[in-house]
Amino acid sequence: MKNVFDTFFFTEILQGLGVTMKHFFKKKVTYKYPYEDTPVFPRFRGIQYIKTDEEGVTKCVGCYLCQVVCPSECIHIVTDCGHKGQRLIRKYELDLSRCIYCGYCEEACPVDAIHMGRDYHTVDNTRDNYVVNMKTLTQNYKKEQKMAEAKGEQL
Amino acid sequence: MQMVNLKINGIEVEVPKDSTILQAAEKAGVHIPVLCHDARLNPFGACRVCLVEAVGNPRLMTACTTPAAPDMEILTNTEKLQKIRKTVMELLLINHPLECPVCDKGGECTLQDLTYETGLTNVRFDAEPNNTEVDHTNPFIERDIDRCVLCGRCVRICDEVVNIQAISFVNRGTETMIGTAFDQPWNCEFCGQCISVCPVGSLNNRVYLFKNRPWNLESVDSVCGLCSCGCYIKLDHEGNEVFRMNEAPEEGANHGYLCAKGRFGFEFINSMERETECRIRKNGDFETVDFEQALDTVSEKLGAIKSEYGSDAIGVLVSPRLTNEEAFLAQKFAREVIGTTNVYSLEPTTSLPEATYEDVENSDCVVTLNIDVTESNPILGLAVRKAARMNDAGLYVYYPSETALKRVATEMHTGTPDAVYAAMDELVAGKTKAAEALKGAENPVVVYSPYNTADLYYAQELKKAYPSLKLVAARSKNNSQGVLDMGAKNGFGPGLKETERGVNLRKGLENQSVKALICLGENVAVRTGWSEIERAYSHLELFMVTDPFMSETAKRGNVYIPVATYAEKNGSFTNLEGRVQEVQKAVDKGVCTDSDVIAALSAKLGKELTADVDEIREMIRKENPLYKDVDFNGGLVKYPYAIKGEFEKETVAAGEGSFYLYPAALRLHSGSYTRWSHDLAKVYGDAKLIINDKDAEAAGIESGNEVAVKAGDVIRVFAAEVDKNMTKGCVSLPEDYADTADLFTKGRVLKVSIEKSG
Ligand code: SF4
Ligand code: SF4
Ligand code: SF4
Ligand code: SF4
Ligand code: SF4
Ligand code: FES
Repeated sequence: MKNVFDTFFFTEILQGLGVTMKHFFKKKVTYKYPYEDTPVFPRFRGIQYIKTDEEGVTKCVGCYLCQVVCPSECIHIVTDCGHKGQRLIRKYELDLSRCIYCGYCEEACPVDAIHMGRDYHTVDNTRDNYVVNMKTLTQNYKKEQKMAEAKGEQL
Repeated sequence: MQMVNLKINGIEVEVPKDSTILQAAEKAGVHIPVLCHDARLNPFGACRVCLVEAVGNPRLMTACTTPAAPDMEILTNTEKLQKIRKTVMELLLINHPLECPVCDKGGECTLQDLTYETGLTNVRFDAEPNNTEVDHTNPFIERDIDRCVLCGRCVRICDEVVNIQAISFVNRGTETMIGTAFDQPWNCEFCGQCISVCPVGSLNNRVYLFKNRPWNLESVDSVCGLCSCGCYIKLDHEGNEVFRMNEAPEEGANHGYLCAKGRFGFEFINSMERETECRIRKNGDFETVDFEQALDTVSEKLGAIKSEYGSDAIGVLVSPRLTNEEAFLAQKFAREVIGTTNVYSLEPTTSLPEATYEDVENSDCVVTLNIDVTESNPILGLAVRKAARMNDAGLYVYYPSETALKRVATEMHTGTPDAVYAAMDELVAGKTKAAEALKGAENPVVVYSPYNTADLYYAQELKKAYPSLKLVAARSKNNSQGVLDMGAKNGFGPGLKETERGVNLRKGLENQSVKALICLGENVAVRTGWSEIERAYSHLELFMVTDPFMSETAKRGNVYIPVATYAEKNGSFTNLEGRVQEVQKAVDKGVCTDSDVIAALSAKLGKELTADVDEIREMIRKENPLYKDVDFNGGLVKYPYAIKGEFEKETVAAGEGSFYLYPAALRLHSGSYTRWSHDLAKVYGDAKLIINDKDAEAAGIESGNEVAVKAGDVIRVFAAEVDKNMTKGCVSLPEDYADTADLFTKGRVLKVSIEKSG
């Protein structure tokens, strides 16, 4: 009986329209990306950055732990031995187009070097640009520092 | 054998008397953690990680040193033991730097593994790391003393196995560390055995240092291709780069030991200096061509030469670098495709393997004739040392100067080459103590060089006098034996069957009857007796050389084809024991193998030869009676004779001059491959003239000076190295360098005059 009533008077549609009307008069939440930034949540994981020490030298020691833990195999490291017997990083590449932003690399790093940042502006028109190297990753650190400072936070 | 019964964690086991609890546990399948223990070394009991509990005994005992006694009941994993093990680990970690991310041992570190195994997360004691500088001065061993856990494995292996005693514990108590006496530079055999046993990152392989991590590497079982010892190795590689030539502890005929060449000299495989393109000489200059073009040129030339001069104007020279399969294919190519018996190897067939390493290790009397075996064949050298030290065998050494065997030798006969031969005469005459020892011995062994006719005479005489004697012909190259077995030798078919003889290579080159030479991997220009034949090459209408590098010989050829090293092909090598072992392909450097070249060339000449290893092996089984039933994976070949032929007792040195010159082996180099390794070259790059300190002083020569050596009309200049162990009145030079080969062409032992030059 109820069914016939509902079918006859379109009650469900009216209910639905009610919801629409309710939101119609509310304040709008649409962000005009890319002209406007969306807020990110505190635990959001964006593009990685790699910390540097006071002298601007990367903290990464090239231990390959992030490479081995990364489930999507997007980190590629090549190391070598320097003249004075130090561990050198010849290459550190991270393919952002493969990264699933799981944050395992951050977890695995024993020296607090790689971190998940808050930047999510990955869009680019060629795939090659998604492969970032140590230089970009340490520059990201500076960017992140500035962003954090602006908010009065510390990395 | 007397056995004892005991119980380990409730499991009954029976082990031979004198076994340790650890061995019993192994048999019972019970795991006991160890740190300082190594099965190849004497029990030591330094780290206390292996503590176990015996029921009814309040004292804990170390499983690695305590003998298993009848009716023991051992518990290995009680709560009490877990607690104690944890404490032991905590104590070990007090002054350990824990820089695992940087440390090269990360991923294969026993200390790391044990920390994980014991579940240690928090150390109760305050960390007190030392801060000693890392020692990078050694070209092969990086030493970070802070990470050392004082297990003594390095000290023990260097003493018990290598017998060099280069390192030891220095200082006492908390100051104890591993070092050399009086802090001298670490200058030893550089065998790297100490690195291989160090359970932590205290002694690291400098050549591999920081290049990669173990979990990235793939490993292939293979055989070292640098000398005739035939060591079983692991080729650790990632992508197409070889990162390590690693030992397989306790495995293979070499028991997992390696020498400096094998452990550190692999770099030539990855070398940027390797060639990838074929070359053809046009109007005097090399021109790059592709593989097809090169082969076309060769096959056209071969066809033309064959129709003009007949097939006997063509020769095929096979180097011992080739695998058995390749050598077999090469002789087939010569005999069946070209139709000539002119197939050559520079190796002699006069002596064949008779004894194995095991025979040497278990011998009760070893004689080495005129060979510095620890240098020329380091792993055979270890077996000789083991016999002399572990079974107290008599070791009688005949060599012009003092060698590393001095520490263990019962008697050392040194002196000028003539004096050494005189001593060997006495030995043969049966008058000396060594002869007595040979007579009384049950398993006597004689090690000699098969390349020296004079020594062959003595070896043969000894064999006649003592029939129970086993002879070890210390061949030099990785497949010196195999290429002969495969019939890549003038007058010898597969299985060393005597066949029709072709043109003598030297004569054929000199009288210009050989017009084309196909040289597979041999670097003739640096081989004694062949280096000066350069003039003879110039008439060759075709001189094709295959080699991974542009070698001295390749530069003189008119067609060059780059080929693979042993790390890039499948096949087998036969070592100096006559043991056939499989070589496996690990990497691909984008060049073909020698068998590919032969197969492609045959196809061009209208006959199909397969390059497939399995198919070739089938053929070998059919056509080579010696290899009919041999297991290619470690089987021993039974040879028909140990020495055959008549030898002159030519012991008088050729030439005139005040010094005796004789060839000495160089541990770090074994022919032309190793010289492409920059790491090895750091220690011994060029041929050095070794001279006694008194003689050097008299001639005003110091280490590093340039010295001209004159033998007849040949004058060559070398850097000198002053060495106290050299016999007065003698000088030595290594073989297999272009300059030294020129000298030794005049004779194995020479009288020369030397003069400081420049
Ligand atoms: S976030 Fe995850 S997928 Fe991305 S690089 Fe790190 S480990 Fe790899
Ligand atoms: S885990 Fe950290 S230190 Fe190690 S390689 Fe990655 S970023 Fe560098
Ligand atoms: S020796 Fe082992 S525990 Fe010590 S720093 Fe190296 S990897 Fe870590
Ligand atoms: S490299 Fe060999 S000889 Fe040198 S200290 Fe180590 S074990 Fe001894
Ligand atoms: S250097 Fe290595 S092998 Fe030698 S005592 Fe120290 S930890 Fe043991
Ligand atoms: S392994 Fe037994 S005491 Fe070290």
